[in-house]
Amino acid sequence: MREGFRQAMAWLHTWAGLLFGWLLFAIFLTGSLTYFRQELNRWAHPEVLYQQAGTPESLASAQAFLEKHAPGAPNWLIIAADERLPVLTLYYRQTSESGRGSLVETVVDPRSGEAVQARDSRGGEFFYRFHYELEMGYPWGRWLASLAAFVMFVTLVSGIITHKKLFKDFFTFRPGKGQRSWLDGHNALGVLALPFHLMITYSSLVIFMTMTMPASILSRYDGNTRAFFNELFPATAGMGDTAQRQAPMLPLPALYARYLALVPGGQVGMVSVDKPGTASATATFTPKVGARVAYLPGGGVTLNAVDGSVVRGLAAEPVPQRVAGGFYGMHMGRFAGPVLRWLYFISGLAATAMIGTGLVMWLGKRLLKHAGATVQPFELRVVGALNLAGMVGLVCAVAAFLCANRLLPLALAGRASWEVRVFFLVWLASLLHALWRPNGAGWLQQLSAAAAMLLSVPVLSQFATSRGLAVTLPQGDWAVAGVDLACAGFGLVLAWLARRVWRRALQARAEQAPPRAVRIKREAH
Amino acid sequence: MLVSALLCYAGFMALCLAMQKHHASLVGRQGAPGLLRALRWAGWCLLGLSPWPAMAAQGWAFGLVQWCAVLMASAGLLVWLLPYRPRLAVGLAGVCVIAGPAGALLAGFG
Repeated sequence: MREGFRQAMAWLHTWAGLLFGWLLFAIFLTGSLTYFRQELNRWAHPEVLYQQAGTPESLASAQAFLEKHAPGAPNWLIIAADERLPVLTLYYRQTSESGRGSLVETVVDPRSGEAVQARDSRGGEFFYRFHYELEMGYPWGRWLASLAAFVMFVTLVSGIITHKKLFKDFFTFRPGKGQRSWLDGHNALGVLALPFHLMITYSSLVIFMTMTMPASILSRYDGNTRAFFNELFPATAGMGDTAQRQAPMLPLPALYARYLALVPGGQVGMVSVDKPGTASATATFTPKVGARVAYLPGGGVTLNAVDGSVVRGLAAEPVPQRVAGGFYGMHMGRFAGPVLRWLYFISGLAATAMIGTGLVMWLGKRLLKHAGATVQPFELRVVGALNLAGMVGLVCAVAAFLCANRLLPLALAGRASWEVRVFFLVWLASLLHALWRPNGAGWLQQLSAAAAMLLSVPVLSQFATSRGLAVTLPQGDWAVAGVDLACAGFGLVLAWLARRVWRRALQARAEQAPPRAVRIKREAH
Repeated sequence: MLVSALLCYAGFMALCLAMQKHHASLVGRQGAPGLLRALRWAGWCLLGLSPWPAMAAQGWAFGLVQWCAVLMASAGLLVWLLPYRPRLAVGLAGVCVIAGPAGALLAGFG
C-alpha cells in the first residue's frame, strides 16, 4: 500500500513536472532576474545620471513638475525615489478634449526636477511582467502562471513523498556518475532550498488568491468582489469637501513633515494627490514597500493637502491581512539588502536548476533504453528539442534581449517593443534549431551562442554607451557594473558548460567509432 | 546575519559528521557511536542557536528571513564543497565553530 502510494506520487511528479517543466523553468528564471529589476532598469537606461536626493527635495521636484505639466489632472501619483532606483516616477491622467483620459508616465530626476531623457527600453520591467503574465495579456497569463504555480506545488509535495531517503541522503552529492549525479543534484537542489521553494510557490498562490479562489469573497459579499476591495483598500476620493473651489496646495515637503510627525521615521514609497489644486485636495503617504517584510498595499496616511489636517490615519492591520501580506512581501523580497538579494537570486536559480535537472533526467532515463538505436522515437526527439529550447534557448533569448538594449538604434520607432520582439524571435529561432538538432551538437551550439552573447554584453556597454565598466567601476556604480559583470560571469559559466558538452561528445564519438566502422564495412559487403 | 551563517554551517557539518558514511569518508575512520551522538547533539544545538544572532540584530521579521536564507545557503555550500574540496569543507567548519560564537560575543558586548 505504502509503496503503491509512493509510486503513484512518483508518476505524478514525473508527468506533472514534464508537462509544466519548460513553462516553470521560464517563470523561475525570469522571476530570479526580477530580484534585480531596479538594477536592470538602471543598466537599461545608461543615459540617465542617477543622483540621490533627500525625500523633501525630491517631493518638491515632483510637485513643481506636476504643477507645471498636469495642473488640472484629477490625481497625481508619485513613486518616490529610493536608493536602488533614484528617480521619481510620476503618473497622471491627462484629459483630452473628448473627455477620455489617458495615463501619462514620466520619469523625473529628483534633483533637477526635469523629465529624464533616456532610450526607450523596458529593462527589468520586461522580466518582471513576463514572470507572471507571460506576455499573454490580462487575465490569461496570470491564470496560466497561477496554474503553473499550483502544479509546481503539487510536484514539490509529490517530490518530497517520492524522495526515499530525504534525511539519509541530505548531504549526498556524487558528481561524475551519469544519471546518479543528476538525481543527486536534483535532490540536493530540491531539499537544501526546500524552504525557499515552498515559500515562493505557496506565496505565488497567495498573491493571486483573490483571482483564482474567489469563493469566500463571492459568498461573503454576495458576488460583489468590488465591495471586498473597497473595504480592503478604502478610496480616498471624495473624502474631503466636495466643492471644486480652487485653493492653493501646501508644499509636499511640508505635508511630508506632518506625516513624519504622525509616523516617526516613516519612509515614503508613494504619494498620491487627489484633486490637486482644489479645496478638497488630499495627499496620501504610503510607506515604503521595502521598509518591512510584509507587503500591505493600500495603507498609509491621508492628509488634507490644503490645511494639513489628518483625513485618515494609519489603518489597523487584521492578522489575516498581515499573514497574506507577509507571504506577498517574502515572495518579492523588496526589503532585501544586497547580500540577502543575492541569496534570493541564487535560491531562485537553484529552483530553476532543479526544474532543469528534472527535465534532463526525464529524457536521459528514456534515452538509455534507445542507446544503441540510430533513430530515436519521435516523442523523445520532441522532448529533447523542447528541453534545449526551453532552457538554453531561453538563456539565449535573455542574452539577446540585453544585447538588443545596447545595439538597437536609439531613434527606432517602438524601440522597447523591438527589444521584446528580439527576445521572442531568438527564442523561436532556438526552438527551430533545437528541432533540427535536438542532440549534443545542438546543445553545444546554443550554449556557445548564449555564452558569446553574454560575454559581449560588457563589451557592448563599454563601446556603445557612456556607462561601460571603465566608467562605472571607478565610480562605484555597482548597479550598472554589477549587471555587466554578472553577464560576463554567466557567460563564462555557459562557456564552461559548452566545453564540457563538447568534450563529452568527443568522448562518445571515440567510444562509438569502432562499432560504426564495422557496421559500414558490413553494409559495403 | 554572518554569525548566523557561521553557526548554521558549523551545525550542518556536525550533523554531516554524525552520519557514519560521511564520517568515514571525511575523517578516514569509523566514528565511535558516542562521538556520533555527541556530534548530532552539537549539530542540533548549533542550528537551534543560529537564528538568535540574526534576530537580535535585525528584529524577528528580518532576522528570521535572513536566517532562513543563510540556513539554505550554508547547507548548499557544504554539499557543494564535500565532493570537490572535502578538506576545505571540514576546515571551514572548524573556523566557523571558533568564529561563530566569538562573533556572537563581540556583537553582544560591542
